[in-house]
Amino acid sequence: MPRSHPLSVRTAVAAALALQVAAAPSTPPAAPARAGPAARTVELTLTAAPARLALRDGGDTTDVWAYDGRVPGPTLDLREGDRVVVHFRNRLPEASTIHWHGLTLPFVADGSPFHPVPPGGSHDYVFTVPRGTAGTYWYHPHPDHRTGAQVARGLYGAIVVRAPDDPLPASLPEHVLVLSDNRFRPGGAIDIADPASPAGRVDAENGREGDVVFVSGRVMPALAIRSGEVQRWRIVNASAARVYRLALEGHRLLHVGSDGGLFARGVERGELTLGVGERAEVLVRGTGAPGTRALLRALPYDRYIPQTRPADWATPRDLLALRYDDGPPVAPPALPEVLRPVAPLDTGRVAARRVMVLTQHLINGKHMDMARVDVRARLGTTEIWEVENLVGMDHPFHLHGFRFQVLDRNGVPEPFPSWKDVVNVPKHETARFVVRFDGFAGKWMYHCHILDHEDHGMMGVLEVRP
Amino acid sequence: MARPHHLAAAAAVAGLASAAAAPTLGAQARPAAAVAGGGRAPSEAQLLRGRALVLNHGCGDCHGGSPDPASEGFLAGYRPDAVPSLEFRIGPCADRPDAQPCFRTRPRNLTPDNATGTGRFTERQLFNALRYGLRPGETPDVEITGTTPGQGNFPAHPKYLAPPMPWPAFRHMADQELRDIAAYLKHAVAPVRNRVPDSEGPPDFWASAYTVALIGPYPAAPFPTAREQRPTLARAVRGTGDRSAPPPRR
Repeated sequence: MPRSHPLSVRTAVAAALALQVAAAPSTPPAAPARAGPAARTVELTLTAAPARLALRDGGDTTDVWAYDGRVPGPTLDLREGDRVVVHFRNRLPEASTIHWHGLTLPFVADGSPFHPVPPGGSHDYVFTVPRGTAGTYWYHPHPDHRTGAQVARGLYGAIVVRAPDDPLPASLPEHVLVLSDNRFRPGGAIDIADPASPAGRVDAENGREGDVVFVSGRVMPALAIRSGEVQRWRIVNASAARVYRLALEGHRLLHVGSDGGLFARGVERGELTLGVGERAEVLVRGTGAPGTRALLRALPYDRYIPQTRPADWATPRDLLALRYDDGPPVAPPALPEVLRPVAPLDTGRVAARRVMVLTQHLINGKHMDMARVDVRARLGTTEIWEVENLVGMDHPFHLHGFRFQVLDRNGVPEPFPSWKDVVNVPKHETARFVVRFDGFAGKWMYHCHILDHEDHGMMGVLEVRP
Repeated sequence: MARPHHLAAAAAVAGLASAAAAPTLGAQARPAAAVAGGGRAPSEAQLLRGRALVLNHGCGDCHGGSPDPASEGFLAGYRPDAVPSLEFRIGPCADRPDAQPCFRTRPRNLTPDNATGTGRFTERQLFNALRYGLRPGETPDVEITGTTPGQGNFPAHPKYLAPPMPWPAFRHMADQELRDIAAYLKHAVAPVRNRVPDSEGPPDFWASAYTVALIGPYPAAPFPTAREQRPTLARAVRGTGDRSAPPPRR
């Protein structure tokens, strides 16, 4: 039974992040077979344009590039089965695209470097959200060699896809936390180093990091909670390179979902590491006393090669303050033990096993070449990919167009299947995943999601044919 | 000699399906004898030439701590328990322990282990490391035809092997000798799993230490340079035992 929700999207931490859905739910003339009980069309316009915003409270205004004048862009609130029509207007001074990170959609709607939208141009992204893909996703530009430059200037936003049969109670307060870091020059300008400068060379190795961490566009925001309450957090790592090793003071997190949605069961964790591009759904149980406060922090995490490891890498960073209000505790809601069963992909009939060797800026010893296809596969087949990271820094491996299930890391089997589209492979480690090419034919990128690395060509092309 | 292992690793580096593991591959299958980089399987003669060069250039002295190819850990790289230590301190700290900057470097595992050695690198990448000093983990697997950064596939921002690897000397070996060494390392050495901690270094990966001004050009300047001289005819005559003649005047 689809639950009703207002047209304005659930608010993220900053109250200003409300999406105005342009069209009311409509009855399509012939609902696609997989659209579900109440298919609707969600039609909206997204404009990427220069803007001038105050990114930090009390700080200077900053020249940014923004979707619809806000950083991050509006959160899209979608349902399984929605037919989505996004009118993209590119008012930037250079070509851009919108890549719908993690969604299964036609090749021409992927927003990859194969389909750039010229400056001043427009493009309609049209796709249907498949059944069974409820989860947390995000969108950002993906033009050839310029992804890092455009995301750094403020172009990114979150996507929530809801299932009609979501097992978690609709009454749980929900927050979408989009993590992003940046750095600024005196006067407020975004500091993007000259590629030829020493700082630019460091950015090329590490990926560009900044000392200011934003949570949905706010620095150290406060989130309110009541004792006894359970909140549902959808966390997106939208940083260019930073890995977040998250811990909430005095609380254990119940990890209930990954990039591609809920697990079968929640997992208790004292901390949760989120690589670039990854998402997590967690339940935060309000076990604190009224009037107290708990910080969500990013603990030290060494993802760096020795040559360019920042001197302050071990500094923990405070992300947000969870503030318990003074009211009397409420009874915690009942939560189901079983969330969403995830059937493991069949590894018994595998069409190919491939090895993706990651070295610095290279996959299998090569840079990306738009004119070259690196891997050929057939629609409907299943493959196992082993991602081997041979160098001394983490590389988050992302595949467009198809979700996968991680089988094992360093030979140790994953405890349960879950849907992902990014797997962070730490330095000198390996990860194996199984993927079924059950989406659409086309040319699909796979790449390291450290934006400077993908811009430097740490990417390849998978061509899937019928 | 673990030949099937090397061949499987070599095929996998190309990102293609491993014929051994997949039930049906069709046109994607790679012949089992293929070697990454498109080369032929090496001959025993080449492997023995490579072995002789590895032995007489003392590779095992640093990369394993022993010149004896039968020794445990031969070419497997740094071990923390080696005496004398196989860790090098580069920079002022070589003389003064607390001086900065200080970079600790360690010899790599040269055995063809996939995870910790050279198993996933091609012979061409090993050749490029010896000829140009370029780190295989940071340099594309391509033919390099010059030494000017940004030209002839030489990287615009080269990442060099860490000192004290004497590649500035080894680069002057003949092409064939370097290829023989690469072939020996890839095909004639048993893979050993030994994770060597990453070497430290400056953010420019030693580019400012390996300039032409400091290490000379490749190829070397023709003979004789200002520091060298051609022998005169008298000096070139082989000794006849007649030591009564005075030495010729210069």
